[in-house]
Amino acid sequence: MNVLIIEDDRALARELGLYLHNDGFLCDFARTGAEAAEKLFVNEYDFVLLDLGLPDQDGLTLLANARRERNQQASILILSARGTLDDRIRGLDLGADDYLPKPYSLLELTSRMKAITRRKHGAPHDVLEIGPFALHVGERIVRHTPTGHEVVFTRKEFDLLHYLLLHRRRVLTRVQLAEHIWGGSGGEGLEPDSNFIDVHVKNLRKKLAAHDPTEWVETVRGVGYRVRATAPDAP
Amino acid sequence: MKLRQKLMLLSTLSKAVIAAVLLLALPTVVQTLALRHTDAAMRRELDQVRERIAADGVRDFLPVALDSGHSYYDLLRDEYIELRPADPRRLPTDTLATLARLQDGELVDFRVLRARLTYAGRPYVVEVGKSMASVEDVYGLLNTLAGVALLFAVGSTLLLELTVIQRLLRPVDHIVQGLRAVRGPQAPALPPLRTTTSDFQYLDDAIRQMLRSIEAVFEQERAFIANASHELLTPISILQNRFENMLQAETLPEEAETQLVASQRTLHRLTTTLRTLLLISRVENGQYARPDQVNVADVIAEVLEELEDRLHALDLRVSRHLDGAPVLPAANRSLLFTLFYNLLNNAAKYNEPGGRIDLRGAPDAAGGYSLIIHNTGPAIPLEQVPHVFERFRRAGAGLEEGHGLGLALVRTIADFHGIGVELTSGAEGTTVRLRWE
Repeated sequence: MNVLIIEDDRALARELGLYLHNDGFLCDFARTGAEAAEKLFVNEYDFVLLDLGLPDQDGLTLLANARRERNQQASILILSARGTLDDRIRGLDLGADDYLPKPYSLLELTSRMKAITRRKHGAPHDVLEIGPFALHVGERIVRHTPTGHEVVFTRKEFDLLHYLLLHRRRVLTRVQLAEHIWGGSGGEGLEPDSNFIDVHVKNLRKKLAAHDPTEWVETVRGVGYRVRATAPDAP
Repeated sequence: MKLRQKLMLLSTLSKAVIAAVLLLALPTVVQTLALRHTDAAMRRELDQVRERIAADGVRDFLPVALDSGHSYYDLLRDEYIELRPADPRRLPTDTLATLARLQDGELVDFRVLRARLTYAGRPYVVEVGKSMASVEDVYGLLNTLAGVALLFAVGSTLLLELTVIQRLLRPVDHIVQGLRAVRGPQAPALPPLRTTTSDFQYLDDAIRQMLRSIEAVFEQERAFIANASHELLTPISILQNRFENMLQAETLPEEAETQLVASQRTLHRLTTTLRTLLLISRVENGQYARPDQVNVADVIAEVLEELEDRLHALDLRVSRHLDGAPVLPAANRSLLFTLFYNLLNNAAKYNEPGGRIDLRGAPDAAGGYSLIIHNTGPAIPLEQVPHVFERFRRAGAGLEEGHGLGLALVRTIADFHGIGVELTSGAEGTTVRLRWE
């Protein structure tokens, strides 16, 4: 997948590029509106990550122009430090696919990118598997495959498991999980409480353990949580 | 008390004082003037008497007996002229006084002018008298006249002044109305003040000037917020992304990993603190609109759903009794969500395990709506209660997370919506009262 990163801050662009590169994306960079316009005119991208505060041009103008030209198919994500509700609404009105206020978690960014891809290329029966369990993204339910029983989770527990499964090879820190769980609550200025992640994980484990004895969500000491890829070998 | 009322009162009082003083002084003044007038008239009569005696002799005045003297009264018997021979050894002095005189066997007060006179070598005394009763009649008449004139003058000037005060102070109403219309940084364009009073013009100009500078300050703050957001959030973004990249490394020693996670946590706190501060500034700076008609009961239901796990984990029971329609006609739904999230989250966070959260709301008699959020948590120390809505003041035990801005944000959003908010705390728990019109 080709990504154009339009960001005037060199260090930020570098970190972003590094992470996306490790995640298998091909990254191209533009530091000004003019440079970005040129690249958008010449190349085709799957994703355009757009910073609104460019030195020479307002990002929203660039967005409006980009939508009219070669990159009509590209998914555009706005990454902005301005973060006013107005910018968010105007950005989405102008055809951006999503909006992330700075500072954002890179994990959250790639999740959103994956979600956009799924939405665009259609994966109606999207199912994520964890051992004997299957998480149905669209219906928001989890089933124990051998028995066909539904494991009933609260909204937050489901979101948490879903997020862990999306990044199944990674260890997710409590902060990353909290940001995902409470960052998208629809309100701003909510007091976060990453301690509470532990409570959610405890409940999650209890509900899974009722159907299967394997500890599918494992604790990585000092860091956070990760879902197990396979069941540990029987002793 | 309004300036208009004060001026009217002042005008009325000063007139009343002047009228009272004049009415008190009037009898004395009238009396003095009337007496002076009477005295002058008597002097003229005395001169006439002297002239007649010089021309015709004393016979006309002494018809009966030379020694006894005689008084001539006019028809109504309130004036007399008397001439009598005097004893040359005991001549009386010339006098002008009010004296008692015998008239038909009764003593009557007379104004008396007495003078000596010599005719044909013999001394005489001549007296001209006017009864005081006739003089007092004149007093009465003058008093009445003066009184009526005074009342008329006071009444008419008072009426005139009140009308003029009313008219002169009309621009004040205009200015006050204009100022009341100012609700935010963007003041509505006020129509120019029409007055010929330069003071009001000056005041109007000063207010316009002030509104312009307030607008400029808000504009500056807006620019500052935008810059601060960019300049602070960009380096934080770099750090946050760098931490995440570092955590990806496979070969990271365990200790470094732990420290990275701790740093990430600290940075997260910094981020949420900064975000909340910026949010408070933006709301105070009027950068949010209130486009929604919001049913508060719906928002509360949504917040409780959001907090479901937390309430369950802490084994808290929530009761909800919202009577009537708790509707805010012009509100910002997302900000209201934040307001109730922070209040209910606090009610859960600072509660005993197994405790209660009670929500009660009802329309009140004054046409507003009152909403109470009560929890059964430990009491907030009394000295902290007045400060709970201030920034960076946190009541209760200091938990590791949270930035002490939650209630400051609540106050800001409440103010923005015209919602009154107060907090009380005691042994039976903590209560937050919200009230709006």
